[in-house]
Amino acid sequence: MAKIAITGIGIVSPSGIGKRQFWANIKSGRSFIKEITRFDASRYPSRIAGQIDELDKYSNISERLLKKIDAFSHMALIASELALQDAGIDIKNEDPNLVGIFLGNAIGGWLYAETELRDLYLEGREGVSPYMASAWFPAAPQGQVSIYYGIKGFSKTVVADRAGSLMALGYAAKVLNKDKLNMILAGGMEAPVTPYALLCCNTYGALSKNNAHPQEAYRPFDKKRDGCVIGEGAGIVVMEGIERASKRGAKPLAYISGYSATCDGIDRINCSADGKELARAIKAALSEAKTNVDEIGYISLDGLAMDLWDDSEIKALQSVFAGRLKDIPVSCPKSMFGNLLGASGAVDMIATILTMEHALVPVTLNLDEPNIEGLNYVTKEAKEHKIKRALVISRGRGGINSVLVVEKGEN
Amino acid sequence: METKTKIKEVLVNLLKVKPEELKDAVALQESIGVDSTEMVESVIALEKAFGVKLSPKEITKSSSIDDIEKVIQSKFAK
Repeated sequence: MAKIAITGIGIVSPSGIGKRQFWANIKSGRSFIKEITRFDASRYPSRIAGQIDELDKYSNISERLLKKIDAFSHMALIASELALQDAGIDIKNEDPNLVGIFLGNAIGGWLYAETELRDLYLEGREGVSPYMASAWFPAAPQGQVSIYYGIKGFSKTVVADRAGSLMALGYAAKVLNKDKLNMILAGGMEAPVTPYALLCCNTYGALSKNNAHPQEAYRPFDKKRDGCVIGEGAGIVVMEGIERASKRGAKPLAYISGYSATCDGIDRINCSADGKELARAIKAALSEAKTNVDEIGYISLDGLAMDLWDDSEIKALQSVFAGRLKDIPVSCPKSMFGNLLGASGAVDMIATILTMEHALVPVTLNLDEPNIEGLNYVTKEAKEHKIKRALVISRGRGGINSVLVVEKGEN
Repeated sequence: METKTKIKEVLVNLLKVKPEELKDAVALQESIGVDSTEMVESVIALEKAFGVKLSPKEITKSSSIDDIEKVIQSKFAK
């Protein structure tokens, strides 16, 4: 696969909106996990999350459009605009047939759906907004972004639980390699801080119940871990071929050079304990990037903070990197703002790009006592480290493994 | 309240458009670029506001405020 340039970053997260604010908070290691205030969550086993309270402040979206869309589309629209601005692209100057959208999402837009379904049962069919049909489903943000900008090129939404957005990025890189599109807006979005979505996440059993101490709740790889904490947001980047980026004078922020995905295929919910299929995905991504374990300078971990998932992730890394693993800094910055489920991989990749740009590895919060020793965990404070190539791991329910190799850009 | 004023009020509140964008003699598609889903919503809202049964065939994207007023008044006349 030829390397694909990333020339613009759009991030909407509990740790900040826009890459500057996001990075300032990430490098300081500050937690943005709080008690849920949007609705009464007092009877949920897990009632903490990374929430975005100031979405409207950053939005140019009209009230007329806002009433037709769910929060996850709103987040995707803001992230897309930030990415285009960062890339210096005016979409009006692009051939709309040669622009694509590749986004990942896990659960759809439930805030909209829940309200309308309540009205269906209270008021009958006339109580339901006709926008319900186009607001809730996982591909709705792709549709809204395409309508907003008049984008008409080949586009896809990937639904693969938490791995969706990293898979969307990998898929976008492969499509750009076929030279059938000029550029792609790629990433993902998720808005799970709603009564029903939170209930589903609770039922899944992967959420921390440490409600008394929200900032200490999400502790990937730590002995006292008891699950992740959900978060909401979107991470979207502009991707284009290196030649095109160079022609228009854009300095790539990073390159995607390798991608692979595998499935464990053993259980409906759980991953395999041996990490073998994740290891196979890592090897395949490295091979596609024409690189090897010696050239990887940082690993962004999936870190669900569940025994089975964390330990199998480390087993996979041990089997691929062997003795080299102790030298490579690893971290899971999402411990600061929550697991954005279907958007988590894209946000992890954005954090990794900023990590390489600033030569500063952000921490895994609350990793006080690793369950498995022998890795170069970055904890307590960010660590200076020059990185040329990094690995981003994103996994999904049922044992979906996706891995991206990202290289430092020109800045 | 005058029928026409009430129609405009319903549409402004529902569609979040500016009152001055709605022109009496111009089709909704031309004046505010109404889409088909907005039309479904508008017909339901007008039915509720005026207490009459309206068909999506009677009020369409091509209807102006004047046209809608005529349809509603014809229902009252029956």
